[in-house]
Amino acid sequence: MAEFGVPPSLNPDSREIAADLTRAADALETMQASGDLAPVVTTIPPTSPGIPPALFGAGGPMLKRFDHESAVASRTRSRAASPPPTVKGIGKKVAKPDYSEQKIVVAMVGLPARGKSYLSNKLMIYLRWLEYDVKVFNVGQLRRTKARQKALKLGVKENHNAEFFSHSNVQGTQSRDNLAEESLEMLIQWLKKEETLGFMVYIISIPDATNSTRSRRAKIEARLAKEKGMSLIFLESLCDDPATIAANVELKVSQGDPDYKDHDFLRRIREYEKVYETITEPHLSYLRITNVGEEVAMSRINGYLSSRIAFYLMNLHIRPRNIFFSRHGESQYNVEGKIGGDSLLSPRGMHCVWTSTLKRTIQTAQYLPYTKLTWKSLDELDAGVCDGMTYEEIEQAYPDDYANRDEDKFNYRYRGGESYRDVVVRLEPVIMELERQENILIIGHQAILRCLYAYFHHLPQVDLPYIKIPLHTVIKLTPKAYGCDEERYTLPINAVDTHRPKPKTARQPSINSTTQRRYFVEDEDQTKVSA
Amino acid sequence: MVAPLYTTDSGLLFHAGKILVIAIGLPARGKTHISRALERYLRWMGVKTQVVSLGDYRRKNLGGAQKLPPDYFHLGEKSPETIALRKKISDGCEQLIWDFFQTGQVVIYDANNGTRAARQTLAEKFHNKGIHVILLESVCNNKEIIEANIRSVKISSPDYRGWDPDQAVEDYYTRIRDHEEYYEPVEEKDWPYIRIINVGEKIMVNNIKGYLQSRIVFFIMNIHNRPRTIYFARSGQSLIEHSFKADSDLSPAGWEYAEKLKEFVVERRAKSLEQRGLNPQEQRLVIWTSTRRRAHHTAWPFLQAATSTGSSTSTPAATPNSMNLTFVEEPKPINQTPLNIKVIEKPQMSEINPGIWDGLSPDQARKYYPQDWERFVKDPYAFRAPRAESYHDLSVRIEPILIELEREKEDLLIIGHASVIRCLLAYLIGLPASEIPAIEIARGDLLEVVPASYGVHCQAFHFWDGPGRRGNENAAVTEKDANNFYENYAEDTKGKRKVATQEPEASISAVLETA
Repeated sequence: MAEFGVPPSLNPDSREIAADLTRAADALETMQASGDLAPVVTTIPPTSPGIPPALFGAGGPMLKRFDHESAVASRTRSRAASPPPTVKGIGKKVAKPDYSEQKIVVAMVGLPARGKSYLSNKLMIYLRWLEYDVKVFNVGQLRRTKARQKALKLGVKENHNAEFFSHSNVQGTQSRDNLAEESLEMLIQWLKKEETLGFMVYIISIPDATNSTRSRRAKIEARLAKEKGMSLIFLESLCDDPATIAANVELKVSQGDPDYKDHDFLRRIREYEKVYETITEPHLSYLRITNVGEEVAMSRINGYLSSRIAFYLMNLHIRPRNIFFSRHGESQYNVEGKIGGDSLLSPRGMHCVWTSTLKRTIQTAQYLPYTKLTWKSLDELDAGVCDGMTYEEIEQAYPDDYANRDEDKFNYRYRGGESYRDVVVRLEPVIMELERQENILIIGHQAILRCLYAYFHHLPQVDLPYIKIPLHTVIKLTPKAYGCDEERYTLPINAVDTHRPKPKTARQPSINSTTQRRYFVEDEDQTKVSA
Repeated sequence: MVAPLYTTDSGLLFHAGKILVIAIGLPARGKTHISRALERYLRWMGVKTQVVSLGDYRRKNLGGAQKLPPDYFHLGEKSPETIALRKKISDGCEQLIWDFFQTGQVVIYDANNGTRAARQTLAEKFHNKGIHVILLESVCNNKEIIEANIRSVKISSPDYRGWDPDQAVEDYYTRIRDHEEYYEPVEEKDWPYIRIINVGEKIMVNNIKGYLQSRIVFFIMNIHNRPRTIYFARSGQSLIEHSFKADSDLSPAGWEYAEKLKEFVVERRAKSLEQRGLNPQEQRLVIWTSTRRRAHHTAWPFLQAATSTGSSTSTPAATPNSMNLTFVEEPKPINQTPLNIKVIEKPQMSEINPGIWDGLSPDQARKYYPQDWERFVKDPYAFRAPRAESYHDLSVRIEPILIELEREKEDLLIIGHASVIRCLLAYLIGLPASEIPAIEIARGDLLEVVPASYGVHCQAFHFWDGPGRRGNENAAVTEKDANNFYENYAEDTKGKRKVATQEPEASISAVLETA
């Protein structure tokens, strides 16, 4: 029997197995007798004698035979009018889960240079990474873009100085009110358009302080109340620490904020301070963050996502730090081209030293003089029935399924294993912890680091499974206000390349690792709509 | 990323220090509910936590309100004897707190603590000994919530044994009014505080720092005390019970089980909703399953019932030309109204991963991996076979589910795997981590968990017998717990903690309650 890939341990005399195992083994015997059993792919020989290999791996014939037989037998007692699809193969693309039923508008409130854009940007990246549809509607961006367009087309130059922003400037106030309303209308249109997606979160970022007054908040509230199923949360950022404000202003100037060109901003901020009213309206849902997390007040925050948002914001900090990613050293499986597994490091991998939970990451970290923590959540994507096979073997055994995975790699779940989406869900608590940490090195696996990397660089889902994370390379990320700086250090130790590019397309993920804030609207949707 | 975490000798989270949470609030403001829930969560995380309740201590040492001097609950002038008595009680509680801090990490002091001066003295005392102090105030100005709280919790206390309910409520209000006169809400910004208004309607947080502290806030944001019921049932038997990888479909017996489960849940729930005076048609049932086929296919009959339109289409007379109608059973009369349900698949709820032991019976695992097996049997909670998950790993994985479970306001049915249900139940009941692998979850029992203010009421209803109810009864393995390593193996009950089972017709009574 061993020649057909059946574990040698299952010889008849040592068979004390449960009834269902007998059933599967019997199926094999029948197949063998009838002559239609060809070794599809031989299973991996046992690493030590007497230890059986995985019984239901896709490498052996058991799974196919089992699927064939069970498809007929299993439904006989279901009374369902339409039974669920039968089960076969090595995995399938899974549909995006229905997250919830509501749409949320988060409106930012706060004086200039209080970190509103920073917070909304972080929140957008976090929520998008978790697959929520998020779009930031930024009134400041819209105003600047419109002014620029006007300047280009008509040659009219508007002066957005302190006078323009002064609350006593009737025309200026009117103009800003119009912009805010226009922005809100665009937001509502977008929310309505995306009906097919289950769940959306929208951040309306209004850094131009028209949101600071009660009447503005009341207007937004009244407008959204007319729409069905949209809930509204205000997110207020307060800051009374002069050092933090000064640092923010400096950042704006250094980033070339067009509004801060003429060093007019201090006057401008004072204009706002005159009319600024902190949120006290008892009926509103709001989150107030003082001095970047020192104090957090929450009012009427209901709903799972809202509390997640609150928890996330509580975990953020802005102390400077570096995050290092490294894969484990080259493993025996890498050399052999197999996926998954839990093999030992190859001799070459032993040269580089750096942390996670399977043998190869623990070994990689063994010489590091730091506190080490092993996390089960950092284990490699579980390839289920394909664990321990090479891509070629999978393709040979299940050619159709194999092609399916390339069609939508992010959503493809290996049978008995995981999809990239499952990994993102599993890593969410890791991200939460990671936000709390300061300097940190993560020694992980290809799929895991792809997911974490995509979070920090804000890369789209379709590109995520194709990000290059080579072996023997340390990636250093330095989080900045609007993105991460990146440096890569390749260690002078050879390793095999385990990257499989996306077939049949030229498009490879482009890492847009800018830390530059966007001051103008780049999305066409957001400028086309007229008020 | 929390779970029953540390099994260090000291039992302390190494970097968090010791924390005293001072509960503050007028009587009947839900302090006890919040304190107990927090205690349960922190204990589940592996943090040594204790609620010290002034009320319980007073009742234990002095007896019910009848035995107290009449001026005991009046905050006005008191006789010297009463003052001495009250001091004795609060000193006693403080001593309990100090005692617990010898080895424990978090104490939640459940008392009114209504005056600023008293709080200040207390907080300073502990602060000076290096203990982090958090003020946790529960404010409630919604009369309905207060009255509901008094009626459900307070008048059943020993203080009012033998009282007429309405009189008891009246008396309790008097007690509150006296407190109200002297009560000072938390405004002292020099201490970290959490203020909860109307059980979560609004939460204010001041200067909360630290890992454990922010966990506490997140948890408190997610709890509520609305009445609801949580049901647990195992998924049906699958074709290959002992393989994680094969992710096999339901067996014929499994499909039958799924139908029975639906019928039983609908029936049982209708009864309990009726008792609460609610209309089952209006109350939605949310169903969570894992993404494993055996679990979400077990929910299939519910989905079918939710989409059925109510008109019968399968009568033979209506289809005279269909020759091959081979119904195994009589087609049941189709349900009148579609079920009001929502099914959600949660990837974190997969069963425990057996790693390299996948596909092996316990006997085989023991035979091929004798050393690993020995270690597993010694500590089935913490041991992780190569590439497998330990129960600890599983607990970490389902922590986000626990938070969602706390949040959920509607009735919930969790169709899960024995290992996952063990962890969730252990959390809800408040069992120590080491007992998780030994909890018996038999297939064919519906577990009904009703949260109450001191813990949960839990009972099991047996509704199905058939293949796979208790796994392989002929297995040679006999060690306690050993059979439970495998998700779908053995539910051998020898020597295990058992949730008492009742037949469906039996009267409802609390079987397992933690206080």
